[in-house]
Amino acid sequence: MTVARDSYLFTLDVPREYPEPQPGQFVQVTTLAELVLRRPFSVAGFRDGRHLELLVEVRGKGTRGFAEAEYGSTVDILGPLGNAFTPPAEAESAVLVAGGIGVAGLRYLAEKLLVEAHRTLALVGDRTRDALLDHLFPEPAGGGRYRVMTATDDGTAGFHGAVTSLLEDQIGRLEGNARIYACGPRAMVREVARIASASGLPCEVLMEEIMACGVGACRGCVIETEGGYRTACKDGPVFDAADLVLAEADDDGP
Amino acid sequence: MPDLSVAIGSLRMRTPVMLASGTVGYGAEYEGLIDFGAVGAIVLKTVTVQPREGNRPPRLCETEAGLLNAIGLENVGIERFLEEELPRASRLPAPLVASVGGGDVEEFAELARAAGEREEIAAVELNISCPNVERRRLPLWADPDRVKEVVVEARTETSKPLLVKLSPKAGDVVSVAQAAERAGADALVVGNTLPGMRIDVDARAPRLGNATGGLSGPALLPVNLALVWEVSAAVTVPVVGSGGVRTADHALEYVMAGATAVQVGTAVFSDPRAPSLIASGLARTLERDGLEDVSPYVGLARKRGGR
Repeated sequence: MTVARDSYLFTLDVPREYPEPQPGQFVQVTTLAELVLRRPFSVAGFRDGRHLELLVEVRGKGTRGFAEAEYGSTVDILGPLGNAFTPPAEAESAVLVAGGIGVAGLRYLAEKLLVEAHRTLALVGDRTRDALLDHLFPEPAGGGRYRVMTATDDGTAGFHGAVTSLLEDQIGRLEGNARIYACGPRAMVREVARIASASGLPCEVLMEEIMACGVGACRGCVIETEGGYRTACKDGPVFDAADLVLAEADDDGP
Repeated sequence: MPDLSVAIGSLRMRTPVMLASGTVGYGAEYEGLIDFGAVGAIVLKTVTVQPREGNRPPRLCETEAGLLNAIGLENVGIERFLEEELPRASRLPAPLVASVGGGDVEEFAELARAAGEREEIAAVELNISCPNVERRRLPLWADPDRVKEVVVEARTETSKPLLVKLSPKAGDVVSVAQAAERAGADALVVGNTLPGMRIDVDARAPRLGNATGGLSGPALLPVNLALVWEVSAAVTVPVVGSGGVRTADHALEYVMAGATAVQVGTAVFSDPRAPSLIASGLARTLERDGLEDVSPYVGLARKRGGR
């Protein structure tokens, strides 16, 4: 299913004995047989114990190949892999901050939080209205206990500005404690981490890095933390924002 | 059932399919994913005397027909390797080969002794060719005289089989191979990765944090195959082919060029079943050809003149 910004939501039927993934975990997918590496995709949903959902943005050869896979074809996946988000405490609001395709990393968490009727605010940002993936989060429900807000850089939908500005705007209005969950471009993650730290709120981020083995063997996908390099595949992909060393130089793009 | 077993000195392997250093870490990470029962030996991730943090990320870049890596020899150091990683790896049902990387002759000797004296270790591979760690004007991997020194010293420190992993970027790989053989190496692994890089044009920057890295995968197969061809003609010790092996036929190419065994590395990333599929593919080919073991294939292409 095409969803927006050249992104696709895939549903894979998995065997009955397939282990239930936890929000934050990912799978390593063989997108094209001739490629040297699998591609890691966050679990974006898991239904009835049989349907694994992946939200994939086309960025290159592998994702393009996967997007063009025929309906009904068999896909080779490895996983679920990696660690998971820490569920919010009973008294904590969950604040989800997703930038662009970062929705893929938080969607499954949002669904779980909705089922649990946990107090949740999901913030989704993108460049412009047509690119927004907020509709992939569950519909707002639960008498306002679960809400979704959007931000666009050009103001064509929702808050006019960065999703991190929306976060700063909203954070002061939250009642009680909150726990922040973020997934998106490095620059956004860095800003979310800064805001969380300034507000004294716990914050976990789902980090993306090019991966080879996916099981912590090759040390290829490391993320810099206060305690040294840690693998995104095994030690992560979820990291405590306070542990991360997020340098401006590592932000995406020129 | 054909017998796939091969031996390098006292290192007896039930199949000629070894796992290359670096790709499977310390082994246990791949427990349950790789069928280690089909593997001849596991060459563990290279260890150094001191722990190493490794290079700054990104450390990987996929390229046409290959993978660039610049891990920078990240490892826990020999002490923790022996205390923590080795006991875990020894649960796996395949012989273990320690890969060691020294900064100088003394370090190689120290590492060979420390690894060699552990009963869990069946053999020691000297990594003289990791392309990401350089200290001198003429690098070790290209210097036959210094390779000879390293192997001689390591040889005095352990009686276990010594494998020396050569670099395809040495100008004269055959001379390095012969130096290693004369110094007492039991086998030569041919070989390591080739140097390479890619640039992200939008970011106007190298794709690897270290700028350059080592190229592995399919692109390496014809390069290292030609080197196995040359080296195996110039030495009498077994040669192990490594680089781009994904199928049983790739393994047979190396064997027919003169290799006794192969190492599988990058292929494990796309398919952890690759080593066992290669082993079962080899068994099928042997059966098809009515052979009882692999030895008739070794160097077979040379006997046919090599068109």
